[in-house]
Amino acid sequence: MADAVFLALAVITIGSAIAALELRSLIYGSIALMGTLGGIAGFFFLLDAPFVALFQLAVYVGSIAVLILFTVMLVKRELIFKKIEDKRRKFAGIGLMLVIMVSLGAVFLDSGIKTITTDEPAPNFRDIGIDFVTYYWPALILMGLLLAGSVTGALVLAKREDVENDQRAS
Amino acid sequence: MSVIAPKFKLSEFIKSLLDNVFWIILILVLIGIPAVMMILFVIEMPVINGELLTPFLALTWIADPSRILPVVKAFMATDIFRVMAFPGFGFAALLAAGTIFVERKMLAKLQLRVGPFYCGKFEGILQLMGDGLKLISKEIIIPAKADKPIFWAAPVLFVATAAAFVAFIPVAPGWVVADVEMGLLGVFAVIGFFPIITILSAWSANSKFPFIGGIRALFQMVSFEIPLILSLLGVVMLTGSLNLSEIAASQSSFPWIVFLPVGAIVFFITMLAELERIPFDLPEAESEIVAGWLTELSGMMYGLVQLGTYLKLYAFAGLFVVLFLGGWNGPMVVPPFPVELLEKGIEMGPITAGPFPGLPLFTQEMLNGTLWFVLKTVAVIFFILLPRGVFPRIRVDMLLSLGWTKLIGLAFVNIFIALGLLYAGVLGPGGLQ
Repeated sequence: MADAVFLALAVITIGSAIAALELRSLIYGSIALMGTLGGIAGFFFLLDAPFVALFQLAVYVGSIAVLILFTVMLVKRELIFKKIEDKRRKFAGIGLMLVIMVSLGAVFLDSGIKTITTDEPAPNFRDIGIDFVTYYWPALILMGLLLAGSVTGALVLAKREDVENDQRAS
Repeated sequence: MSVIAPKFKLSEFIKSLLDNVFWIILILVLIGIPAVMMILFVIEMPVINGELLTPFLALTWIADPSRILPVVKAFMATDIFRVMAFPGFGFAALLAAGTIFVERKMLAKLQLRVGPFYCGKFEGILQLMGDGLKLISKEIIIPAKADKPIFWAAPVLFVATAAAFVAFIPVAPGWVVADVEMGLLGVFAVIGFFPIITILSAWSANSKFPFIGGIRALFQMVSFEIPLILSLLGVVMLTGSLNLSEIAASQSSFPWIVFLPVGAIVFFITMLAELERIPFDLPEAESEIVAGWLTELSGMMYGLVQLGTYLKLYAFAGLFVVLFLGGWNGPMVVPPFPVELLEKGIEMGPITAGPFPGLPLFTQEMLNGTLWFVLKTVAVIFFILLPRGVFPRIRVDMLLSLGWTKLIGLAFVNIFIALGLLYAGVLGPGGLQ
């Protein structure tokens, strides 16, 4: 059962990833990207990590994909993209992808993934939270500062000066 | 001679009626009864009073409650019943239909109109049925330059997403479609799908008004999703659980609105914005952009989107009740089931009926919980409907500044209140609970 679900998810994820790259229509491409991200959420469900899976759905499918759709809809495609159909580029890209995948796979296989016991109970997300605020707290603080900095930067960038102030909401 | 049908003939009318009766009987005999028999033979039948319930006695079930009650009870324990009927789609759709009628009538009374009046003998009570029949029988018009697959799929996806949202809401102890450990996170994930469907539907219509409405809906939903999620974190901190049933059960002595009124207010305002209700109905502003992102939808597609909208309204009201108003908790007002009915049955003079072993169909706790949940949900729905008769629509820049600055700030205030209550020992381990 789990194997069949894994295979179906793999087909959906990889298939929609290829579709996201290859489709000429940008809207359908971004829908296919949503399929890819949703398939990854499905993998997390299979791995007994519903916390990560639901955040994957809420953040990536729910927000990132919306931003991509939003950008694609408001942009005239002809102005930024020139169609460059080149067989050699295509094959070079596929070759590069294969090289990267093989090297990443070698790294994974070398990392001791074969010796993992698979029948352990699923980790509790409460334990992960406790670990975050005790052992890994410097990393948490660093991430928090980084996010706060990026949000502040985005706000500074978004604050346009050319809008007349009496038209703004008080 | 009738004006509506000038070629009307009574004999032909009767002939057509008899034709219909003939075909119905023929189809029932040739297909219906064999199909029912086949289904009955596949189902595993229970043993009642020491004898197997055979499909040959199907008609006697209806007359004998001691035979039909166990079948009904077994059916009510199945997942199909939960998804289709009680805590799921049917129950929510019933409440949604009631909401539509009450909204129209109440709004009319607020604005000194009469509202629906002629359909049905009493106060236009059948107006909803009339509207539904009208929508079903109307032609579905697809714009010529629309993107057809997305345009067809969007209303169905909208209803499906709303139904998935409904599935997370616990109505009574143990009565919930999807009792998952991460219920609240699931709700956040489902809410995230609404802007996608809205913007895709709006874009695929390839028309100006829907696109403007869709962009507005996207702005509004994305900017109000963040205070919505933040305002609920206080409840999660105090409960220590993301399971909605556990959150509802944790409020047996007091509802969380007593301690977290700020979070409840922020959640209520974001709820209005997510539901596109007045004062935040910019995506459907009918006086500016026809009907917003619904403009090109016609017939039953529009009906499906409306159904989804009201299912979403019920689900949000239910979520508010579960998180802040104590869910199904309330004083026991439902009387216990009479024991004589189980042991002796009914005796009326010479006639004795029963005893009925299958009763009671629902436990006392379940009926009481459902009663309190429905009462609270209806009250919350009333407060969601009320601003429509009172407030004007707000400007889009006011909406965005409200969402991004004021509500997020208030949500953080709420989180700090919850943290203070936890660390002061008022609530949580060592405190009141």
